[in-house]
Amino acid sequence: MPVYSVSHVENVRICVIMVGLPARGKSLIAQKIVRYLLWLSIKAKCFNVGSYRRQLAGDTAITAEFFNPDNRDGWSVRVEAVNRATEDMMRWFAEENGVVGIIDATNLTKQRRSDLLKLCRENLIEPIFLESWCDDQDLILQNIADVKTTSPDYVDVDPAVATDDFLSRISQYERNYQTLNVADDEDLTFIKLVNVGSQIIVNRIESYLESRIVYYVMNLHIKPRSIWLLRHGESEYNLTGQIGGDSNLSERGWRYAKKLPEIVLKSLGEEHEHTNLTVWTSTLKRTQQTASFLPYQKKLEWKALDELDAGECDGMTYEEIEQQFPEDFKARDDNKYEYRYRGGESYRDIVIRLEPIIMELERQENILIITHQAVLRCLYAYFMNVPQEESPWMSIPLHTLIKLEPRAYLTLVSRIKADIPAVSTYKEKGTSQLGELASEVSNSRDLILNSLQASV
Amino acid sequence: MSAIELDPEYDLEIFNGFGSSPLLRNLSLGRRTKKRWSFHLNSKPNLIDRSPNVPVRRRLSDVTGIDAVHKQIDPHHISPAQLYSTESGRLFHAGKICIALAGLPGRGKTHLSVSLTRYLRWLGVKTHSFHLSNYRRAAAPADDLDHASFVMYPHDSQEAMFRDKTVENCLNDILNFFETDKGQVAIYDAVNATPEYRRQLNKRFQDVNIQCIFIELTVTDENMLKKNMELAARSLPDYENWNYEDAYKDYSARINALSPYYKEMSQDSEDKTLAYIKMINFGQRIELHNSNYGYLINKVVFFLMNSRIKLGSVYFARCYKNEWDYSKDPPLDEGGINYAKNLTKTMIKHLKSKGRVFEDDGESGFLATKLKTTLSIDEKHPPTGADGVEDDSFVVWTSVKKRTKQTTQFFKERGVNIRHRIQLSQKNPGVVGAMTEEEIRDNFPTEYELFLADPYHHRFSRAELYHDLAIKIEPLILEMERMSGDILIIADETVLRVLHGYLMACSCYDIPWLEFCTDEIVEVKFNAYSNTARRIPIENLSD
Repeated sequence: MPVYSVSHVENVRICVIMVGLPARGKSLIAQKIVRYLLWLSIKAKCFNVGSYRRQLAGDTAITAEFFNPDNRDGWSVRVEAVNRATEDMMRWFAEENGVVGIIDATNLTKQRRSDLLKLCRENLIEPIFLESWCDDQDLILQNIADVKTTSPDYVDVDPAVATDDFLSRISQYERNYQTLNVADDEDLTFIKLVNVGSQIIVNRIESYLESRIVYYVMNLHIKPRSIWLLRHGESEYNLTGQIGGDSNLSERGWRYAKKLPEIVLKSLGEEHEHTNLTVWTSTLKRTQQTASFLPYQKKLEWKALDELDAGECDGMTYEEIEQQFPEDFKARDDNKYEYRYRGGESYRDIVIRLEPIIMELERQENILIITHQAVLRCLYAYFMNVPQEESPWMSIPLHTLIKLEPRAYLTLVSRIKADIPAVSTYKEKGTSQLGELASEVSNSRDLILNSLQASV
Repeated sequence: MSAIELDPEYDLEIFNGFGSSPLLRNLSLGRRTKKRWSFHLNSKPNLIDRSPNVPVRRRLSDVTGIDAVHKQIDPHHISPAQLYSTESGRLFHAGKICIALAGLPGRGKTHLSVSLTRYLRWLGVKTHSFHLSNYRRAAAPADDLDHASFVMYPHDSQEAMFRDKTVENCLNDILNFFETDKGQVAIYDAVNATPEYRRQLNKRFQDVNIQCIFIELTVTDENMLKKNMELAARSLPDYENWNYEDAYKDYSARINALSPYYKEMSQDSEDKTLAYIKMINFGQRIELHNSNYGYLINKVVFFLMNSRIKLGSVYFARCYKNEWDYSKDPPLDEGGINYAKNLTKTMIKHLKSKGRVFEDDGESGFLATKLKTTLSIDEKHPPTGADGVEDDSFVVWTSVKKRTKQTTQFFKERGVNIRHRIQLSQKNPGVVGAMTEEEIRDNFPTEYELFLADPYHHRFSRAELYHDLAIKIEPLILEMERMSGDILIIADETVLRVLHGYLMACSCYDIPWLEFCTDEIVEVKFNAYSNTARRIPIENLSD
C-alpha cells in the first residue's frame, strides 16, 4: 500500500489536533504518526507546545503551580506558546508545502478547540481531533515514570519530587477538561481512544489520508516495551560474498546462534528471565537457524521479513553483478532506494510489504526480530526516522544485537556485539568490494553508531 | 451443531498466535528456496495441469463480462493486489474470521458485505459473503417469500422451523468454506436481531476456533434510510416484476415487523462480551468495542472508514494512442483532439440523458456553480476537491501526462472538474517500452515466454508489474468507494484494466487481456449486490 502517492493528491492539508491530559501518551502518538508518514514519504511535522512554552519561560523553574488555570502569568505564557506553535505550523503549511501538521498540546477546553478549528478552516486545512482518554491508573503511572525520566521539564530533578509535581500538574489540568463526545462534537472529525484502544470512536473521517492516519493510530499502544533487531548469523553465502539465496549458517554463524540466548538475556537485564518475548523470523533457513537455540515459546515466521529479492542477481556476488550488469550496478548505486533488481525488488518495495509487519509490531509488546540486512535497514529507518536517501546505506554488521526502546520523547538505542567474528557484508557506494573502509568513513553508514545512547 | 472436524493445524495456530505456521524442527529439511516474493515461475500455480481446456493465451475481448464478486474462489486464485501466497492459502498470522452483520433491513448490510468482499479479495484474503436472504429465497416456495423470516413466529411453528433450517444451511456453508475451501473471512449477512442470539452465534464459531466479530449497521439519518429503502424496492430480487409502490410498501412492512424485536448492540447488554463494531450512518461514525484484535480486523475498519452507500457509475475511456515511447510526453495530434471532442460530446450526451445539466446549456453551469460556493468557517468543509458529495456530481480523473490533460480540455470548458492523479499514469514497460510485440519476442525470447505464461506478474527489466499498479491505485479505489455520483477515468489501457479488474472482481489471469478501445466508453454501474458493465459507443459528433 504505497501511501506515498497520496501526497500527490492536490491540496491535501491536514492538521491533527491532540486532545488529552498529560501522561496519556499524546506526544508518543504524535511522534509516531510523524515518523510513520515520513517513512511513507508524506511530509509531516509535529509542533509540541510544551517546547515552545519552555523556550518562553527560559530558565524559570516550572512547577505544577504554573499550570493552575488561575495563575495569570502561567496562563499567558501558555497561550503565547500555543500561538507561536500554530503560527509556525501555518507558516510550515504555506512555505514548505506541509501535508500533515500535528499540534501536540492538551487542548482540553471546547474554547481552545473551537479556536483551532476556526484557524484551520480559515486556512482550508482539514482538522482532525485525536483524543487519548484514559482512566487506567497503572497505565498513567507507567507513563509518568517514562516522562519523569525523559521529559526536559524534569532534568536534574529527584524522581520522587518529579512524580509528585507531575501528578499535581495533571490535577490542575483536570479542572478544565471537557472530553470529546458524540453528542456535542457530532460534526467534527475526531478519533477518541479510550484506554488506548480498548474502545475507539471514529467520527466523520472524510478523506483517504485521514483514514490512513486513523488506521495507523488504531494499531498503537503506549505501554513501555522493547524491540530487538538483529541479522541472522553469518551464512555460507556471506562467506563467499553471494547475495540472496537460502543458505545455511556458517560454523561461526552457528556459534553465534548458540550464544544468542545469553546475549539476549544480558540485554534484557540480568534480573529478567527468558519470559515475555516473542521471536519473529523470516521464512529463510538462516534466520530460523539463528533462532533455534532461543528458549522462547512464541516464534513466528513471516514471509514479509524475507530478504530483498535480488531477482536475476540472486546468488551472485557483487563482482559478478558488476561484470554482468554494469548498468544495473551503477543504477543501483545512483538511487539505491528506488532501484529494483531485474525480476526482483527495490527498497521501496520492501517498505510496502513491511506494512503488516509495522502494524503488528506496533500492536505487540516485546519482540525480537531476526531478519536480513535490507529489511533491517528499513525497520530501523522506521523507528529512528532515517531519511530514505540514507537508510539503504546504513551499516548493520552481523552478530550484533540492536535494542530499541521507544519513549515519549525519543527512542533509546543500545547494542551488543557478540564476541564471534563475522565477515562484513557492507558495500560502499561505487565499489563491488565488501567491507567498511576504515579510512573514509561515510556519514550515512554510521547512523547507528552516531545514534547510540549506550553501548554494551 | 455438526461441528466440523478439528483441523490439525488449529492446535499449532492457537499455540503460535494468529494462524502462523510453526518453525520447522528439522531445519535441514526445510526447502524454502522456492518461495519467492515476486511470484516467480516456481511459486505460481500450475496452469497447465489445471484443466486441459484453458488456453495459454486468452483474449478477453469482452470487458463487460460479469461481476465475479460472488464467484467461488478458484483454489489457484491469486488476487490482483495480493502481497504474498502461502501454502495454506491464508495470510500468515491472521486466523479465520467470521464477520457477522447485524441490523434491520435497509441499513446497507448487503451493500457492505459485497463491497467488503470485493476489497478483501482484491487484497488476497479468501473471502466470501453469505447472504441469508439468498438461502431463504432458494428454500421458500415461490409465493411465500418473506413471512417466515420477517415475523417472529412461535418456536415450534412451521415458519420458525423453516427459518431455523435456512439459517442452519447458511451456517453449514460458512463452516464448509473454512474447512474445505481454506477460507479466511466469511461475511454472514443476516439481521441477527437479539443479544441472546448473537451470543449463541459467537459461541458456535468460537467452539471451532473461528474468531467472530460483529458489525452492526444503524441509521439515524432519515434521508439515508429512505434512500436505502427506495433502492431496495427497486433492486431487490424479491421484488422482481413488482410495481415500485407495492414493493416499497412491502419492504417498509418488513422493517416494521422486525423493528420491535431488534435490540441494538450495546455495552449494557449481553453484547458487552462480544467483539463488535458499530457503524452509524454507513461510516459517518464507527465505534469499536473489544475489537482491537489484529491486522485483518483493522484493515476491515480501514475499509469501513472509506465506505459509503455507493451509487453512480465509473466510466472508463482510453487516452488516445499508446504507441508513444513511455518516457516521452508528447501533446495530442489532430486525431487526438478529434477523439477528445467526440469523447466529451458522447459523454455529456449520455449524462444529459440521465438528467444532468452542463454549462452553456442555458442553466449557466449547474455543476460549476454548485462547487464554487464559498466555504464558511462555521460548518464542516467537504473533503478536498469537494468531489462526489452530491449524488448527481460528475468529475473526470486523468493522469498528469500532457496528452491526457489535453484530452480533458473540452470537459473543462463545460465546467466539469478535472482531477489529475499521478497513480493513473501508464504502467512503466521498462526495457521493452519502445518495442513491438514481435521485437520483444525476437530480442528476449525466454522472457517473452515467461511473460506469456503470466503477464500479470512477469517483470521485464525496469518494468512495473500489473501487481505494482494494483497496489499503487489503492488510494484511488478507496476514494472511489467514498464518492457519490459519476466518475470518468481517462487513462492508459494498462491502468483501466486494473481498475476494471477491481470493480468487476476479475482474476489476475484475465486482467492483462482486457481490451479497451478508443471507439467506446465502458460504464461500470455500482449496485448493492453486484456491479454491471456495458459499452457506450463513442459517436462521431464533430461539427
